[in-house]
Amino acid sequence: MGDYYVPAKYLLNKIVDAEILVAPFITAKTIELGSKYSPEFVCTPFKYTLGTMIESLDNGANILIQFGGGCRYGYYSELQEQILKDLGYKFELLNLITNGKANIKRIYKMIKRIDKNFNVFKGLYYFFITIKMVKYMDKIDDYIRKNIGFEINKSSFSNLKKEMLEKFASVNNPFSLYILYKKYFKRFKKIKINKSKNCLKVGIIGELYTLMEPFSNYYLERELAKFNIELKRFTNVTYLLLKYKKVNKKALKKSKEYMKYQFSADASSNVYWTKYLCDKKYDGIIHIKSSFCTPEIGVMPILDKIANEKNVPMIHFSFDSNTSEVGIKTRLEAFYDMIEMRRK
Amino acid sequence: MKVGLPKGLYYYYCQKWVYFFNELNVEVISYDTNKEIIELGNNSANSEMCLSMKIFLGHINYLQDKCDYILIPNLHYDKKNQMCANFNCLYDLVSNFFKVKLLTFDNKKEIKNYLKVGKELGFKSKQIKKAYKIATIKYNKTFKKLKLENMNKLNSINKKILLVGHSYNIRDKYLNEVIDLFKKFNIEIIYSDLFDDDYYFYLSKELYWKYSKINVSSVAYCKEQVDGIVFFTTFPCGLDSLVNELLMRKIDKPYLNLVIDDLDSLAGMETRIESFVDIIEQD
Amino acid sequence: MNCYLGVDIGSISTKGVIIDENNNIITSSYIWTEGNPVNAVKKLINILKNNLDSKYVVKGIGTTGSARKLIGLLLDANIVKNEIMAHAIGTLSIYPDVKTILEIGGQDSKIILLNNGIITDYAMNTLCAAGTGSFLSSQAKRLNINIEDFGPLALKSNNPVKIAARCTVFAESDLIHKAQVGYKKEDIVAGLCKSIVLNYLNNVGKGKKIKSPVIFQGGVSKNLGVLKYFKEILNTDVIVDPNSHLMGALGIAILAKKNSLGKTYDLNIQNISFDTKAIDCGGCSNNCELLRIYKDNKLIDIWGNRCDKYIKN
Repeated sequence: MGDYYVPAKYLLNKIVDAEILVAPFITAKTIELGSKYSPEFVCTPFKYTLGTMIESLDNGANILIQFGGGCRYGYYSELQEQILKDLGYKFELLNLITNGKANIKRIYKMIKRIDKNFNVFKGLYYFFITIKMVKYMDKIDDYIRKNIGFEINKSSFSNLKKEMLEKFASVNNPFSLYILYKKYFKRFKKIKINKSKNCLKVGIIGELYTLMEPFSNYYLERELAKFNIELKRFTNVTYLLLKYKKVNKKALKKSKEYMKYQFSADASSNVYWTKYLCDKKYDGIIHIKSSFCTPEIGVMPILDKIANEKNVPMIHFSFDSNTSEVGIKTRLEAFYDMIEMRRK
Repeated sequence: MKVGLPKGLYYYYCQKWVYFFNELNVEVISYDTNKEIIELGNNSANSEMCLSMKIFLGHINYLQDKCDYILIPNLHYDKKNQMCANFNCLYDLVSNFFKVKLLTFDNKKEIKNYLKVGKELGFKSKQIKKAYKIATIKYNKTFKKLKLENMNKLNSINKKILLVGHSYNIRDKYLNEVIDLFKKFNIEIIYSDLFDDDYYFYLSKELYWKYSKINVSSVAYCKEQVDGIVFFTTFPCGLDSLVNELLMRKIDKPYLNLVIDDLDSLAGMETRIESFVDIIEQD
Repeated sequence: MNCYLGVDIGSISTKGVIIDENNNIITSSYIWTEGNPVNAVKKLINILKNNLDSKYVVKGIGTTGSARKLIGLLLDANIVKNEIMAHAIGTLSIYPDVKTILEIGGQDSKIILLNNGIITDYAMNTLCAAGTGSFLSSQAKRLNINIEDFGPLALKSNNPVKIAARCTVFAESDLIHKAQVGYKKEDIVAGLCKSIVLNYLNNVGKGKKIKSPVIFQGGVSKNLGVLKYFKEILNTDVIVDPNSHLMGALGIAILAKKNSLGKTYDLNIQNISFDTKAIDCGGCSNNCELLRIYKDNKLIDIWGNRCDKYIKN
């Protein structure tokens, strides 16, 4: 998912002695494969992950590892395993999260099986570094999102990020990681931008997979940045791993007038974020999700109500594997024109 | 006093409440799904919502000026027994868009739910507890009888099909038009929602949806005894999209997958059902 | 005298308008795209040129519609804008107090809400052809009816059949079924028109406050059946301008005027050779399908790349 394969690979490489194949990047072929063997109205991430699994198996992998929890994600693996077995693949699928919780026993067993010499302390140590790495990446990404729309030299942000990730992959202790992070943050801040104080600001909310996997949202953030817009996105791995419960509680407290109960998946957070973005006078909100995402569909009317009451334009995108790219661009352009026109 | 209970979604999991209100002499207002309700639902629901959700919102719309309160619980259990995401946004969807007064409870220990709602209606603890007790007895008795009848059908000498679906779909009067098409044949229909959830493990180990467990258990329990299985789903049900697909891959009985998107398209189902019955009756 | 050209290239039809300094339409044309926007535009420009008095000089060109970018390159347009903006501007020039624009075109349908001449909200269909012009014309073909006769036939019916039109696939099977069962043709046609309206309001128009004056445009606005049901269901007057199909082209012409660079354009484009070549990039695993665009055998642009490898030239 996005650039997060870097810390994931890092962790596995450090703790077990086995050949790690990183799942290939998602391409048009991935989706074609995934859609072909998926049930008709399953949500889109199922199709993407199934396609990725097929490609990985074709590349010679024999153990697939999946982290899936919450909503329908937690049940993906069982069906995907069945589908792949029906297709004749021989492999083992390890789902590390059961019933929404990391299954420590299962994780331990799995690692022991792959590598007999596994050391628990070493494992925990590198797990800690990996979590830090994710946190730093997310912080840097927040900064990039705010500023990339205003870069003077094309690709200066993305090139520096690529360089940073390469460096991250070779750290050995938390301290050197921290030094690297500080160093790169400074360098990011030095990148020349041409940003005015009252530039257009847009918040992006929605369902987590679609938000975090740029291929599945047709590089929406990059397209938006081209219009010189400052972007804000809340959902990232830091949020999912560390802040999920806290944000959800806060959401209920801070948006009492719109909701009484906790919704499934990220729906509660999205209600709160919508309110937050409106109150912070953002120029527009873009809500994205994959087709058939039940929790998001359920709260969309409430999100619309908030945006309507607070007079902030909001558009919805529902991405499927066969969404037309031209159609998305037209809608984004029109959205940009509209918020710009409203400013005047 | 009139309390509205929309005949959709949780209605079928809250049957005991009907007995409870009856004991307290509170009038319960419910209507069977009809064309007008469906049209109201289509108008008030988001177009991407599943048909069952639209029917539910149609009921709310239909009930809102016919009763004093509407009961909308927030049904949720533990991590191993989850509900479909839709169930957790019902209360807030309705409270944001309808003016009617609502009764609600955040599902806890059963008696506490009854106490909360009962007190809100002005009853005393003693009254509520008594009514709850009687309701429990009455409900258990009826439910047991239904279960037994359903099980007995498995011994019938006729051809048998297992109808797999959520209660709010297979019990809905309007959606039932499709199921009625089976009735002209001499076939026993066994309902999946009258089973216990203790067999699902044989077919699906990771399952964590409370009511899907019951459906899967029913398939695991009687897949050898029935002649065919009918999956009955509304479009685009998130749970069924995964669970039914897995079941279809794991069973080797003839099956029919009925997905209902729009009630105007019911008519086309007839041919499919007839040919499915032909297949079952052949062997 | 100065004039400005606006071209709206849709998936089904291509529209062109030439206006003067006061936004009056001097000449206009409307032809089928037939899957080849370049040829359609060449044909269109030729018609417009022949109708244009020689006293006029073209000082600005704008393109809109789904092929706006490609044609923008071909014509060297000074402005390329999306349809929503173009439709809003065009309509505002004729109805300055418009509050709601309903538009159903070949592939897209949209709703635009305005207040004091500013777009306040808009929505488009969810990238599915159900309930759009192309859906109507394919169903007309299936029923063996000329698309022009569709509207008048629908008006004859008093009992429109209910048709499930939420999804093209479902609708089609339902339609076949209803025809087989023996419903009258006009009732089916009327049912289709009504279902398009219901589908539109439930989908694109969901949650939008539709205030009058309401203007209905796009190719489907010429269908009297659809118009009738819009009026009936919205319970308000719905205006269809005689030039409703030209609004996008008119809007983009006005924008071209506003953004004119002062340059004079030549409308003799018949002999420009304009080619596109699709190749698979192969530069990385994404394997983007690149579209190379050649004008007079010179490579002028590359589209379709997901990375920054080929930014123009």
